[in-house]
Amino acid sequence: MTSITLNNVEKSFGKVTVLHDIDLMIEDGEFCVFLGPSGCGKSTLLRMIAGIETVTSGDLRIGGERMNDVLPSERRVAMVFQNYALYPHMSVYENMAFGLKQAKTPKDEIAKRVQIAAKTLQIEPLLERRPKELSGGQRQRVAIGRAIVRQPAVFLFDEPLSNLDAALRVHMRTEIANLHRDFPHASMIYVTHDQTEAMALADKIVLLRSGEDVLTKGSIAQSGSPLELYHRPKNRFVAGFLGSPSMNFLPVTLVNANTEGATVRLASGEIIDVPVDARTLSAGAPLTLGVRPEHMVPAPPGTDTQVIRKVVHSIENFGEHSYLYLSDTPDEPCIAKVADDVLETAEGPVAFRVRPSACHLFDANGDALPYLADATSRTFA
Amino acid sequence: MAHRSFKLSRLSIPVLGLFWLAVTTLPFLFVVFTSMKTLQETYTNPVWALPESFSLDNYIRVIEGSYLTYLRNSAFVITISVILIVIVSSMAAYALARLKFRFNTALFGLIVAGMIVPLHVTLVPVYLMTRAMGLYDTLFALIGPYVATSLPVSIFILTEFMRQVPRELEEAALLDGCGPFKIFAKIFFPLSTPGISTVAIYNGIMLWNEFVFAYVLTSSPETRTLPLAVWEFQGQYAADIPTILAVVTLSTLPLIIVYAIGQERIVNGMMAGSLKG
Repeated sequence: MTSITLNNVEKSFGKVTVLHDIDLMIEDGEFCVFLGPSGCGKSTLLRMIAGIETVTSGDLRIGGERMNDVLPSERRVAMVFQNYALYPHMSVYENMAFGLKQAKTPKDEIAKRVQIAAKTLQIEPLLERRPKELSGGQRQRVAIGRAIVRQPAVFLFDEPLSNLDAALRVHMRTEIANLHRDFPHASMIYVTHDQTEAMALADKIVLLRSGEDVLTKGSIAQSGSPLELYHRPKNRFVAGFLGSPSMNFLPVTLVNANTEGATVRLASGEIIDVPVDARTLSAGAPLTLGVRPEHMVPAPPGTDTQVIRKVVHSIENFGEHSYLYLSDTPDEPCIAKVADDVLETAEGPVAFRVRPSACHLFDANGDALPYLADATSRTFA
Repeated sequence: MAHRSFKLSRLSIPVLGLFWLAVTTLPFLFVVFTSMKTLQETYTNPVWALPESFSLDNYIRVIEGSYLTYLRNSAFVITISVILIVIVSSMAAYALARLKFRFNTALFGLIVAGMIVPLHVTLVPVYLMTRAMGLYDTLFALIGPYVATSLPVSIFILTEFMRQVPRELEEAALLDGCGPFKIFAKIFFPLSTPGISTVAIYNGIMLWNEFVFAYVLTSSPETRTLPLAVWEFQGQYAADIPTILAVVTLSTLPLIIVYAIGQERIVNGMMAGSLKG
């Protein structure tokens, strides 16, 4: 039983509320990623679970037991820090053994556990070295090793890859995924601001928001599986945060709504069908249409329905795909990501077809209108 | 122009270095050479002449006198004082650098302000207190004032040092099951070794040369420290300059040895600001 439950958890520093109304359940053995912009409190949330920060109010439970006032060392958690936090005056072996020694673990048991962890992480030849004699990747492995030997119920990772270079980061990402496979009963919580890492690793993403909305809407913008957040964002913040380049947002007005979906009109006059439930709204209501750049497909000539016409202002070719910049104003970027190399386009507006199921509608509050089809059928539509 | 200034700086650094070496070494060489002369020589030969024979007679005479008692007293007082200074100041520095409690900043300010209190202002009260405690003319009379007067600067150095220790190390230790005392003993104390060496050596040198307290708080030769030895010998040997300079050399020697061994640590400690985690 290593599930983690947070009930109505709040954190403030003095008068500043950083985290508000956190309700969250992380299942036994789940890989959960806290994702969000900087300053959203994702690291603070992790540190509260670790016991390094106090919980201002609300309940934190690990394995069903209330942990608010339990010492960090007694929470059965192990943490991997962003800058490794290895003790510089101790050898790799001593670093890994330190926690066990404090817990009065017998010496041969310590040696056994350190050896096994070192073997798993391929750091056996480094055991006698000091941290400063190691490369970034090796230090990160030692930090992970220090967590493994404690056989924790919960692994906590605080942006563990952000100090590594790009190539090593991808490699260590795979190793962390392997670690999750090797310890199927330990829950893992991983903090990052990198959505690629989050999408690649997570069973569940908890996307946190920052700014004024925290107090009115709560810190958690949405939590769910990576694809759920990608295909079924609950609000504009989630829709805009996940995906690169960001989702395009276009102002529209509601034409009509029924059980089949909603029909909206763009400022330029095109009509778009979206399979969402807008029956609570009256015709003429201002809405925002969301379409991801990768879902804007150049339409074959003569296509008239479900198209958005835009002038292409500039092009970036990357070989595997190209970005077409379609926005008239720099404040509201609008990009189409197309598969082909695009060397030149017509001078007039170009038509892009958008599948109804790839469209999202947001009301004036920024909340997504409820989708009519379920996520799986939409994914393969 | 650039070429000329480049040449100038290339030249000026060794020249200044040599000049400084002369300023610091010549008096010392003068002391050492003169201490090996006979009294006769100092009157007849030029002041800067080398001794006719490098004789250690003066040294033997000093050592056969009460020099060893003074040396033992100094070593005893300073060892105990420095140990106490290191223990108290490092613990205080950890608390001031890392523990959260009310008036932390104010307390730190007050301790640092202690550095500006002139030592002589405290002489009379310290003398009266020492008498009242019955410690007058014992070696223990010196330890209290020595530790107290050294603490402000030591705490100041070590607090700055411990503020540089990355906070994550403390948090990692917390997760590893350490309380505040163990975090201090297992993480902060060992990581502050360069700073602690600086404090130990710096205070050791200061106290080795300390005269005023030693003069006021002790009176009999059995309880006096090395700086007073020079004082005593001056009375004893009146105008015997070579013998007095032998005493001076002998008193300085331990310091030079300590500094030669610990020089690297002192310099490292002084540059502690560049410590990176």
